[in-house]
Amino acid sequence: MTIGARIPRVEDARFLRGEGRYVADLAMPFMVEAYVLRSPYPHAIIRSIDASEALKLEGVEAVFTAADVPADLGPIVCRIPTHGDLSPYLQHPLAQDRVRYVGEPIAVIVAKSRAICEDAAELVEIDFDPLPAITSPYRAIEPNAEPIHEAGNLAGDWGFDLGNVEEALKSAAYTVQESFSVQRHTAMPMETRGLLASYDRGRNLLEVHGATKVVHTNRNMLAGMLGMSEQDIRLVEPDVGGSFGARGEFYPEDFLIPFAAKRLCKPVRWIEDRVEHFGAINHSRDSDFVVTVAADENGIITAFDVKLVTDMGGYIRTHGDVVPSHAAACFPGPYKVRNYRINTKTVMTNKTPTGTYRAPGMFEANFARERAIDRLADKMGLERAELRRRNLIPAEMMPWHVGTESVKRPTIFDSGDYPAVFEKALAGYGWDAPFEREENGWLRGRGLCAFVEPSGLGAFEGVRLEVDQRGNVTIFSGSSNQGQGHETVLAQIVSSIIDVPVEKIAVRHGDTGIITFGGGTYASRTAVLCGEALYNASHGIRDKALKTASAKFNIPVEELELREGAVWQAGKNEPLITLGGIARILMPGNPEFLKPPSDKNIPDHDGLVVTSYIRGVPGGTWAFAVHIADVLVDPRTGETKVEKYFVACDVGRQLNPLIVEGQLIGGVAQGLGGTFLEELTYSEDGQLTTGTFADYMMPNVYNMPPVSTLVLEDVKPEGNVLGVKGVGEIGPSGVAAAIGNAIADALKSNTGLNILPFTPERVLSAVPTVTR
Amino acid sequence: MTLHQVSFTVNGKKVSVEVEPRQTLADVLRGQLGLTGTHLGCEHGVCGACTIIVNGEPARGCLMLGVQAEGAEILTVEGASPDEGLSLIQEALREFHGLQCGFCTPGMVMALHHLFSVNTSPTEEEIKEAISGQLCRCTGYQGIVNAAKAVAQRLQAQQ
Amino acid sequence: MKPAPFEYFAPRTLDEALDLLESEGSEARVIAGGQSLVPMLALRLARPEVLIDLNRIPELSRIRQEGSTIHIGAMTRQAHALASSLVFEQLPLLHYGLQNVGHPPTRARGTLGGSLSHADPAAETPAVMLAYKADMVLKSKQGERIIPADEFTLGTFDTAIEPGEILAEIRVQAKPNEGAALVELSRRKGDFAMASAAARVSLAADGTCAEAHLIVGAVAPVPLRFDAVTDALKGQKFSEAVVREALELMDLELFEFDNEDISLEYRRKIGPVMAERALLQAFKRAEGMQK
Repeated sequence: MTIGARIPRVEDARFLRGEGRYVADLAMPFMVEAYVLRSPYPHAIIRSIDASEALKLEGVEAVFTAADVPADLGPIVCRIPTHGDLSPYLQHPLAQDRVRYVGEPIAVIVAKSRAICEDAAELVEIDFDPLPAITSPYRAIEPNAEPIHEAGNLAGDWGFDLGNVEEALKSAAYTVQESFSVQRHTAMPMETRGLLASYDRGRNLLEVHGATKVVHTNRNMLAGMLGMSEQDIRLVEPDVGGSFGARGEFYPEDFLIPFAAKRLCKPVRWIEDRVEHFGAINHSRDSDFVVTVAADENGIITAFDVKLVTDMGGYIRTHGDVVPSHAAACFPGPYKVRNYRINTKTVMTNKTPTGTYRAPGMFEANFARERAIDRLADKMGLERAELRRRNLIPAEMMPWHVGTESVKRPTIFDSGDYPAVFEKALAGYGWDAPFEREENGWLRGRGLCAFVEPSGLGAFEGVRLEVDQRGNVTIFSGSSNQGQGHETVLAQIVSSIIDVPVEKIAVRHGDTGIITFGGGTYASRTAVLCGEALYNASHGIRDKALKTASAKFNIPVEELELREGAVWQAGKNEPLITLGGIARILMPGNPEFLKPPSDKNIPDHDGLVVTSYIRGVPGGTWAFAVHIADVLVDPRTGETKVEKYFVACDVGRQLNPLIVEGQLIGGVAQGLGGTFLEELTYSEDGQLTTGTFADYMMPNVYNMPPVSTLVLEDVKPEGNVLGVKGVGEIGPSGVAAAIGNAIADALKSNTGLNILPFTPERVLSAVPTVTR
Repeated sequence: MTLHQVSFTVNGKKVSVEVEPRQTLADVLRGQLGLTGTHLGCEHGVCGACTIIVNGEPARGCLMLGVQAEGAEILTVEGASPDEGLSLIQEALREFHGLQCGFCTPGMVMALHHLFSVNTSPTEEEIKEAISGQLCRCTGYQGIVNAAKAVAQRLQAQQ
Repeated sequence: MKPAPFEYFAPRTLDEALDLLESEGSEARVIAGGQSLVPMLALRLARPEVLIDLNRIPELSRIRQEGSTIHIGAMTRQAHALASSLVFEQLPLLHYGLQNVGHPPTRARGTLGGSLSHADPAAETPAVMLAYKADMVLKSKQGERIIPADEFTLGTFDTAIEPGEILAEIRVQAKPNEGAALVELSRRKGDFAMASAAARVSLAADGTCAEAHLIVGAVAPVPLRFDAVTDALKGQKFSEAVVREALELMDLELFEFDNEDISLEYRRKIGPVMAERALLQAFKRAEGMQK
């Protein structure tokens, strides 16, 4: 059994040797390079575009503008259900007569080299008529605000109203009301996006390398937009330098580059540069909360009353409103609170459109809720863990129906013993252990948070498992991989069932040419959904092998077993036949087992091959987690030093603890970036002012505290056969909450620390005057 | 724009290429010499994915021009890898899960390669300083630092 | 992010470089370590028509001592200077300052002269040179000009270097036997500071302060010298209280920078704290030398 083994990853060697093949490493004969000319204005009418000078430049092949795309080409559609109709806000691949954010594609320039493209871009004359730019969602919904879209700037105004919040607020012994702001930041994978598209005009075949995340969905969207058959388009995922939710959605370029290749009948490669990436990739978070939490005199939380405003940017993209939707659906978190009300406003502004980033909506909601709960505890004079303890959903109330829904899926916390995990977390960290409150003038604080994180979402997943005549196994997976380690964990699942070493199991993924349907990778779903499809396929291979051996050797199946890559008869020292041997005799046309017919055709074998699809539980499976941190704060400067960080969670079952730990620690790093450093800021006139790595600061090694983890396997979810929960998003989800609480504890502060990121200046402003 | 013929040694092999002055060394290595292990994550010298060794010193491949490489001795991740398998540094990075998506990894390998070429027993602080200019979005650095500590221990044990 | 086209020259001597600078005129630009210029080229924020590369001029990259003067070639790599025992012993503040400059790969290429000529207000080297009252040696076809550090950095990305001139050398008086420290607050180590402080302290035989220098950087277009503070410290033994009292004399009106994310008010709070840390650390190091 290799499920659960802490083994190093099989895919690492090629990356370590520099032999990974990312999209920018791919090339084709006669390939040309593309460049996307983007709007320098946040909001403007395009009066005219003149590319004649650019086209004269030596090496320039073409300049495409909105006038070149088919007139009936619609906008890029949203791929998931939304709250209300968001179709008036969708984005066209190229700006038609108006631009709505800095970075919006206006033209595609194709030339012999990227440098020539950039030279040509300087020669394209565009006559803009600038309009007032709106960078604040509050300004956007003022009555006199310039409408960014004809339908207005308020894209959505919706919510939930469960139980009786009014009554609960009226009768509460304690209430706390606080505002929280989570800044705009995003995934920022180390590799920028890129595509290499080539078109075989004679056979009408289009091949696109560089797709990732949801290749089948994107292929289908592209087919619709190009008017092609889905099977005439192949999207292929190369090695991918990180996604974290933002990369791999259907972006304007995912139409434009294949479109250019098709028009030019030449391979066209587009490699996004980092500055482009800043303005073009989905931004995320950017949400403000006003939270009222009420409790009775015993510290039982009786209501959450929330107002949420999310800045959606200039357009609605493929993710729709999933970020505020998740936040609204899950706001009550792991607490048994039945009175819950939220009003959500999703607002259009002249900024880059938004989408998901690891723990979408959850990082935001957890920050607001858990900071508010600490305030409530302080107000009540109740120890902060104790307040949570009194309100956690007990195991016997599982599954817990929150009563909300997100993307038309009910919010159901399926399983877990939250109080037990909570106590183990506190004990594991030593929450109650005394500590020095002061050190060289710096103040020390300890903070925690508790939350529930969804995983395993999405309708389905599928795999095909093939064994060749040498006994090599190949997994063809409908899910994709951007660095998470699927090539190892998927192989581990198969290995544990058909007893073939991991080294003999290859994983192919993210390619519409190798499997007919695929769900893709998002929402920490691969272990849960692809894992089960693979579990079933592996058992299918096993059954097929045993049945074949039984028929071939005339031994009852019950006397046979599959181990060490072969079929054995019980009690015998030699195997009957290897898996490769079975694969060989099951090959169509092979005469060893199925004799050729003498008179008329007969059905043939289809190899030692099994395809398996799984339909997922709509609500997914939810992991409970606790984050705890110790933080030192300098009350004179607002400097902070996270001394140690701890994550505890129950994931049901670990497929590979090394990878689970890596996901948690790496996730914490991203959470710390969002807590302290990263922000996509805009000037009042709509320019992105943090548009390079010099001013958008991601954590480096010095920003990382030691992180320890306590990964429990106590309660297995019943919704999937492996009993697993996804771990991809547990790492970042609680960081801002735990850190904010720890800093507040250090400063004994009851103001501030409500606005992310926690810059030293903001931390300093939270220092109570007496301490300063 | 004048083209320049530039000759240098890369991974022990003499090469000669014709370049435009505006081409960065990283672009020359990747686009003209096929050494795609050197990655470009930002092209403005912050992320460190393109870190290579030039005349024994670490350098950002994106902040040197190809023309500046005339006569230089350059080592890239391809040259820092054994013919088969993994180097001590690479093996440790694998063992301690010091990589996920692999994009920053070549730069990280080269930064550590340089560190251990000048210091076989670095302290944790020296390890951190050596990789402080290398951004990794996946791992949180813990596995990388642990791997480097293990390399230091193993080098000590060998002596 | 590919630079606009330019021509490239790699002169072998300073004279050759100066000839080129003159003949190519105002569209020419010299490149030193390239750690700031190449990103600007890639972003097309800088678009010279001609680039004159100083990297192949050996005479510009030497550090040597003549009498009590340290001559630092402008093309001396930051990493080289950081590793230099001469620098560590004779110009300790430069050593500590360089520890805060960038990261190993950028220091390996980046030069002292490049950093000084770039004149980023948040950079460490201009503050260090101001603290040392260093002289900048500018060469041109017309000859040589020597500009003291306080007249060299004129503002944000602005120096006294005239067209046709190249910063060739920095001359600094050796300052062994003193304590030095450079302390800064930045959100991510190795990045530019929100406020920095450079301090030099030398002690009399009785352990009191004989001479001190204090520079605060990153709070105004040029680094700021605070002699009133250090004058008040002369003759005193340092303690937190003594230093804090002297820092009351810091003229915070001289601070200028006021950004949305780092306000002037905040810089005025942290500037004195950085100064206090730098002075105390420099004092401690000076004491260590006496022992």
